[in-house]
Amino acid sequence: MSYTELQVTTNFTFLRGASHPGEMVEQAEVYGYRKIAITDRNSFAGLVRAHVATRKKDIEIIPACRLDLLDGPSLLAYPTDKEAYGRLSALLTLGNMRAEKGDCHLYRADVYAHAKGIKFIAVPPSVLNERFEIEDTFKIALKEYREALGPELYLAACRYYHGDDQKRLYRLSQLSAQYDVPMVATNDVHYHEPGRRQLQDILTCVREKCNIHNAGFKLHPNAERYLKPMEEMQRLFEQYPDAIKYTQEIAEACQFSLDSLQYVYPEELTTEGRTPQEELSMLTWQGAHERFGDTIPKKISNTIKDELEFIERKGYASYFLTVHDYVRFARSRDILCQGRGSAANSVVCYCLGITSVDPSKFKLLFARFMSDARNEPPDIDVDFEHERREEVIQYIYNKYGRDRSGIIATVTQERQKGAIRDVGKAMGLSVDTIKRLSGAIWQYTDEWFEGKLLAEQGLNPDNAHLKKALELTGQLLGFPRQLGQHTGGFVITQGKVSELCPLINARMAERTNLEWNKDDIEALGFFKVDVLGLGMLTCIRKGFDLIKAHYGISHTLANVPQDDPKVYKMFCEADTLGVFQIESRAQMSMLPRLKPNCFYDLVIEVAIVRPGPIQGQMVHPYLRRRNGEEPEEYPKDELRDVLGRTRGVPLFQEQAMEVAIVAARFTPTEADELRRSMATFKANGKLHQLEKKLVDGMVANGYEEEFSRRIFKQLQGFEGYGFPESHAASFALLVYVSGYIKYYYPDVFACALLNSQPMGFYQPAQIVIDARKHGVEVRPVDVNFSVWDNTLEERAGKYHAIRLGFRQVKGIREEDIQQLIAQRSAPYTTIQQLSDAGISQATIERLGDADAFGSMKLNRREALWQVTAMGDKPEALFKGQPSESAFEPQISLPLMSDAEHVVQDYAMTGLSLKKHPVSFVREKLSLLHLRAASELDKIADGTPLKIAGLITVRQRPGTAKGVCFITIEDETGFANLVAFQGIFDQYRKEILQSTLLMVEGKLQREEKVIHVIIKRCFNLTTMLNGITKDKYQPVLTLSRSDETSIPPNIEDAIKQPKQVYYKGRNFR
Amino acid sequence: MLRRFVSIWFRHLSTDWLTIHRPFFKDKPLVFAEADHGRMIIRATNTLAEAEGLVHGMAVADARAVVPGLQVIDEKPGRNERLLKAIGEWCIRYSPIVAVDLPEGLILDAGGCTHLWGGEKKYLKEIITRLNAKGYDVRVSIADTIGAAWANARYGKQTPVIEPGAQYQMLKVLPSAALRLETDVLERLHKLGLYTIGSFMDMPRTVLRRRFGYGLLQRLDQALGREEEVMELLRPLETYEARLPCLEPVRTCTAIEIGIKTLLETLCADLKRDGQGLRAAVLKYYRLDGRVLQIDIGTNRPTYHISHLFKLFELKIAQVEPGLGIELFILTATKTEEAPLIQEALWAGKPGLEDDAVAELLDRLAGKVGPRAIHRYLPDEHFWPERSIKLAASLKEKPGIMWPTARPRPTQLLARPERIDTIAVIPDYPPKVFVYKGERHRIKCADGPERIEREWWLDEGEHRDYYIVEDEKGNRYWLFRSGHYDGQAYQWFIHGFFA
Repeated sequence: MSYTELQVTTNFTFLRGASHPGEMVEQAEVYGYRKIAITDRNSFAGLVRAHVATRKKDIEIIPACRLDLLDGPSLLAYPTDKEAYGRLSALLTLGNMRAEKGDCHLYRADVYAHAKGIKFIAVPPSVLNERFEIEDTFKIALKEYREALGPELYLAACRYYHGDDQKRLYRLSQLSAQYDVPMVATNDVHYHEPGRRQLQDILTCVREKCNIHNAGFKLHPNAERYLKPMEEMQRLFEQYPDAIKYTQEIAEACQFSLDSLQYVYPEELTTEGRTPQEELSMLTWQGAHERFGDTIPKKISNTIKDELEFIERKGYASYFLTVHDYVRFARSRDILCQGRGSAANSVVCYCLGITSVDPSKFKLLFARFMSDARNEPPDIDVDFEHERREEVIQYIYNKYGRDRSGIIATVTQERQKGAIRDVGKAMGLSVDTIKRLSGAIWQYTDEWFEGKLLAEQGLNPDNAHLKKALELTGQLLGFPRQLGQHTGGFVITQGKVSELCPLINARMAERTNLEWNKDDIEALGFFKVDVLGLGMLTCIRKGFDLIKAHYGISHTLANVPQDDPKVYKMFCEADTLGVFQIESRAQMSMLPRLKPNCFYDLVIEVAIVRPGPIQGQMVHPYLRRRNGEEPEEYPKDELRDVLGRTRGVPLFQEQAMEVAIVAARFTPTEADELRRSMATFKANGKLHQLEKKLVDGMVANGYEEEFSRRIFKQLQGFEGYGFPESHAASFALLVYVSGYIKYYYPDVFACALLNSQPMGFYQPAQIVIDARKHGVEVRPVDVNFSVWDNTLEERAGKYHAIRLGFRQVKGIREEDIQQLIAQRSAPYTTIQQLSDAGISQATIERLGDADAFGSMKLNRREALWQVTAMGDKPEALFKGQPSESAFEPQISLPLMSDAEHVVQDYAMTGLSLKKHPVSFVREKLSLLHLRAASELDKIADGTPLKIAGLITVRQRPGTAKGVCFITIEDETGFANLVAFQGIFDQYRKEILQSTLLMVEGKLQREEKVIHVIIKRCFNLTTMLNGITKDKYQPVLTLSRSDETSIPPNIEDAIKQPKQVYYKGRNFR
Repeated sequence: MLRRFVSIWFRHLSTDWLTIHRPFFKDKPLVFAEADHGRMIIRATNTLAEAEGLVHGMAVADARAVVPGLQVIDEKPGRNERLLKAIGEWCIRYSPIVAVDLPEGLILDAGGCTHLWGGEKKYLKEIITRLNAKGYDVRVSIADTIGAAWANARYGKQTPVIEPGAQYQMLKVLPSAALRLETDVLERLHKLGLYTIGSFMDMPRTVLRRRFGYGLLQRLDQALGREEEVMELLRPLETYEARLPCLEPVRTCTAIEIGIKTLLETLCADLKRDGQGLRAAVLKYYRLDGRVLQIDIGTNRPTYHISHLFKLFELKIAQVEPGLGIELFILTATKTEEAPLIQEALWAGKPGLEDDAVAELLDRLAGKVGPRAIHRYLPDEHFWPERSIKLAASLKEKPGIMWPTARPRPTQLLARPERIDTIAVIPDYPPKVFVYKGERHRIKCADGPERIEREWWLDEGEHRDYYIVEDEKGNRYWLFRSGHYDGQAYQWFIHGFFA
């Protein structure tokens, strides 16, 4: 007689189940099960994973769940068909919507209302009461369940090994007979093999917030909750063979499979009764005429025909229409957007307005996607202005309704740090030990067990308890921990989404999301669309608006003049501060070497400074070939097709995969799996197997082993940060457009960039310095001239002057400023007027700190002196009487030096228009024979020199072998420094702690890129402290080595009053 | 009397303390850190860490990046206060009026004390020398006001002794921060360029008040001596304490006994008056050689019975080391509880542990044979039977959990399970027969198995299947099989007897 396990709790019942759904399925298959049910608590989250695990195996899962009710014993629910599945999903959605994220509030009545077609098993309490009977409450509930659910109800019987199994089973059988509810055997499985009990205990500790030493009776007393072989289950229920038989009854009744879920596109995508394909075709040709005029070039129209044909063959028309729909909405609201991804680079998308990249600029991109062999779903991510993305999301919700659209989930997994913390805490390790473990260890590798790393941390690697903790940490890695909301992946359907997958409340108000993540959605063949936010689009939008307002020219992403050589010239000179994607130090130093002069060069520039090409050591060969220093060769002719556009050097993710296909004879599916599974294999330590497969494949086909290994390394590099050509192409357009604005309208560019902060690599101070360098006048914040945003004022010379806005002032709220502006009919002449206008004293004080009273001829100190006394103004009876200030004796305040002003400017607005801090110590620096940053251009390669400046950026990229790149700034400009590993270790303190860093080193010049190679470092920060009169100012320590740390808000600034200069920003 | 205040500033209080106790840290950069918004923030540093540029308020992650070998200790809230209190206690030798000045200082009222050390300079020198010898790095100053002494100890550069009336001149050149101001007030002063106290101390009072509030004026007045400052004394006077100075140094046992009795009489009278009973007491004796030693006692229930308490002390008198002689006894009730006056009844007996006589007996027994010889068991939250009970720490200790009753447990549990021979049917049926101590038991009925797994975090090994069995005579036993039935080497044991 066969047995089906009907009660399986996977790790998607967070902190209860101790095995992955896949592990359950695999173990069940080993034992010869034909079916097992997956019954997570009030959730379907693990179903798809289990379902995917059954593919290619002789086993099926019954998608089911355990319903934990607020007013009754739990029920296991098994939908018998698709409709019943939909009802159960709707039931869970109902419960989820009532509760906070992560909770589900369900009542018996809800279950009865959704019960049709669902089989139920009631779960009795696991212990008998002191009279050796089952609790009366359960008996009463069972009776009611039986009346409501009829013959679909069963009663669970489980052997717990608590010593009273025989009594309990006997009582249950009595109950079963009394209410005519068949007794069915289950094993309440929590893990796939007994060894996982330890991890399950740990999870219990995490859940109950205790540790293993004081968890006591909260743990299971034994390890019996593992998936047992069928024979064992039959033995355990020898006396009740019917209980085994009924498992088969239920299993046979449940014929529903997740494969039968059909994704149906929404109907409202088409108009006037057209089919989706007809609609798409109409819209495309319509768009084609708008883009190309009345006569569409022959080549283009042929491509459109091909693409439409392909889309029809694949049935993707609705997908394109869905994307087109909200892109059209965004355009109607003037929200900038730009599509990317393989399908986004099609002519069809260009015609539909989804992308603004002219497809005639490069060939083949969509064609590669179009190959029928690669059965990839279409992929179009659309970026919107990040400040306005919410409008698009709300549009989708409103158009399709919340029940028909949902954001997909992201499953947050246990990562190393979290896992070691959870396990460490549960194992009762000291906080210090946990910190040592988690702080120092970056990767879960075998070295952990070798003990070397532990010993380095001062821990005893032979300690059994510690070893156990690490072993369990290894098991816990990759466990799902919670469901989050994907940044922008939407599923939109014709029917209710909630009938496909339960919806849950997201942490954000007014948001709901599915329980499944993108892999799950993909595995079931559902389509999702991505609605993402991009800061640079906001910046470009603001730039376009300013150009229109001040220069009278209307620009869109599509009509910015293309291929302007002056813009490319600027790129070649690496004058790209703030330009999208090419503003980082590494990108900037690549520009003069790459010398981009056409659009496709930008595509390459965007993609080349990435872990993939760097780890694959492809960058230098490409540069050499580009500069004609090395012939363009191909290992074999068959690769000419794949690598032709990048001179025989694979740079893009697509190319690396195609090499695997062409050269190692992988199937496209295998190549894709290779890319996907890279991360998984790394965790398992099976990476070298994968490498062997690829390398052997390529060597067998006559490739050199070294080349093969580099291809593998490159694929490995893409694992962390995939950057395919199709995305680079879309980004390249934004690179060009932002560069165009910067070149022709540096005033507009700086202003828009400042108004879009925080964004990118640079601080406001650097943006302002850069703007001034390009001849733009920048004016200070002023209560009579500024508004919230930074604005452009009348022309001053070639460009308009930038007036800094109140948003640059720390600690001021926008509402206060709106008040100030609304009341500003005539210029303010006294501070009292501001106060009368209803501006709070605190705000006025901050404005004073920011030196915003220039037009009243008050400096910050005078302003502050007045403001601080204002809280004391006459009130009530004495209202209207002159303030005491009028009678106050004249007090002479100490004069404020320029240096003090500059320090205050930095403290309040992060920049100073007056002077650069370094200029105050220039005299002293000159005595030390230091050079200024601007002099570097004229110094010969290899010259030893000394230079000092404020540290703005410290960067130690993982790809650069411990090299630290530092950017310093003085009153004349920037200088780029390089500290090699040894130097960094030696001067770690100076590099990390200095605000004002002085280095001795040697100038290195490569093309137009100038570096100073550091030999020695000195911390000159104390020299800066001397520039103000405050002798007691402690050392300014502003270094910050954790980029994720929250930037200091105003409270921090008060607590630590000396955080004045911007901290150097650190990047990994 | 002229009031003179000493401010002691412990520059590295917690790090010094740790280094004293664990010399391991002596030559290592060391910081104390505390979690703040998810980041570890440095709260204290030692000199070496300071030299590396680490300061209060810095994130540990940053500090570690700078000083890879940095030792980081968790800051525990309240530790500074505890340390200061302890040092303050010790400082009572310099003045009876000592106050803790958080976060890292002490204030002594030295009025009328300094001449004993031969003047203020020597007085301060003594304090510094002794504290340095203990391992604390301190700065000390004496002045007319707490504020002035505080400021000079931390910011002064000239002399630690501020002559009476000289605080004005001294404060004038110190930075504004020396006035113990709120950070926002200080911030504002700095913004206005008022970096030193002198730059604003002579401004009209209304001008200052309107801009900086009363706080600044108060601090200024306190420092200048225009306003009295209230200290919270370290030793509040209402503790139960009796002092017995000896005219002649005491060395004999009898004299000590008399001393204790005298002290107890005073103390118990006080206790009785307030309806308090003593739970713990410390007898400190100050010896001629300057050492302070102590003996202590504890009771199970609050009491003010002189004779009972004396008996408890009597047991410890042997431990007293009078050395060259004792000059002062101080008896302090360190822990008291409510003990309402009860009419002494003829039959005072109460059941079990509630009975005073039992408690007093246990006190005496514990005093004689040591508390370890007396056992009381409580349930402990473990499935593993050997660990399911634990020793109670005291008579009053309440069980942390109820005695679990869900699964039957034997009345007598063998400390160590004993091997038995059985005849049992596999897989997991109870035995039919077992032999224990040569006697053969035929089993009539049985229940089980109850499977109990090892507590893997404590030890490793086989799980046990427990059975409750009843033999022909109606006696019931707790048996188990260690190891799985299909295992190679499972064994049967007896672990207990049911009533």
